[in-house]
Amino acid sequence: MLENEKPSSLLKKMLPRIAMAVAKGVLYFVLFYALPVLVISQVSQFAPEIFTDYVQVLKVFAGVLIFFVVAGELTRGTIFQHALNVGKAIVLLVFFVLAFNGGVIDLSVQGIRIGVDLTVFLMMFITIDLIALARSLLQAISFMQGKAEEQLPAPQPVA
Amino acid sequence: MSMKTVIRALGWATYIFWIILLFFGATTAYSAFQLAHGFGFGEPRTSTSDGTVTMSLPLYINNVGFYDIVNMNLTTLIRDISGSPISDSSTFVQLIPKGQNSSMMHNITLNVNSMTSSQLSHLLFADSDLTVDASLKLDYARVIPLGISTNFTMPWGAPLHNLTIGHISMSGTHATVPFNFENHSFFELNGTMRLEIVDNLGQIVGQGTAPIIAPPQSGYWSSVDVAVSGDPANIRTARLYFQTSVFSYGPVVISLA
Repeated sequence: MLENEKPSSLLKKMLPRIAMAVAKGVLYFVLFYALPVLVISQVSQFAPEIFTDYVQVLKVFAGVLIFFVVAGELTRGTIFQHALNVGKAIVLLVFFVLAFNGGVIDLSVQGIRIGVDLTVFLMMFITIDLIALARSLLQAISFMQGKAEEQLPAPQPVA
Repeated sequence: MSMKTVIRALGWATYIFWIILLFFGATTAYSAFQLAHGFGFGEPRTSTSDGTVTMSLPLYINNVGFYDIVNMNLTTLIRDISGSPISDSSTFVQLIPKGQNSSMMHNITLNVNSMTSSQLSHLLFADSDLTVDASLKLDYARVIPLGISTNFTMPWGAPLHNLTIGHISMSGTHATVPFNFENHSFFELNGTMRLEIVDNLGQIVGQGTAPIIAPPQSGYWSSVDVAVSGDPANIRTARLYFQTSVFSYGPVVISLA
């Protein structure tokens, strides 16, 4: 366990994780924030009223993802990694419901009201998220099971 | 089945669902943007029959997207300035398959005869603004309900705008009653106007009929010849009755005193 190690060896062990966490954080920032914002800025030339509000939603989404991927990387190999995965699934579940406004989105562009029922997309997001949640829980159980098996006394040969 | 296998299977399921979601989302968004350029309106036409005026608006949809459009419903509700409904028209299309053109005619029917009711009779004599609530509802890709609505005002031209009776010229018991109005509407007024002259006792002392042929957006002047019984000095009011191909209305009471 990390808490039983000397500070120098702990730092040695943590440095690659920090590097990986930073790399993953940057990658997720590019994939989930920079690229979508670029696409939105191109598309929003046609109807800026529609897309500008969604940059804020995208910021929150990218922020949540980057936080969990960095924290998950730093706590890799511990129970906290699985706890964070469970937390991520629950936070994203709530986020999707809020971002999709319960599935029905109303917009107003130059006096024209547009209502879109995106319940089918929300259901797909929730399904994916619930599968991810179940997977994270099973991973946590599997991890704890492995730890418990490690602590069992080695079997003695029968005399 | 071991727990690790289940975890791996759930991992694959997540990836597969993400791929389906991203593919469906991307193709739907792309199709929606393409479809926005596929809508078009033609030149509206008007026709009149049996007290109704029908405005026909051709609508063309080129469904260049990847998915079908089903249950498309275009509705227009027209109200006068006080909110009284005048017309409620809708056009329904069951299916516009992907990659196909579809054209339809949205008929907005105005029952001008119903405008002769006390609530809407002002529309026969005074120009006004009408409020149009237009809405389009459809199911895109069969699973995404979409609704677009807007409202705007459009000018209404009164068919009997500025209806007035001019100076009555008497020749013995024979009266010539000039009248005029402006047909500001988009339909032709074709029919007759019956005139009753009423004295100060409320008795009809003369009546006559004149044909009316007033094209849209034009002024109309004519006169009615009436044989008046009794003393012309007792004439007080004129009652006008209109019988046209679009509406019947009367009496319009105009004081002659």
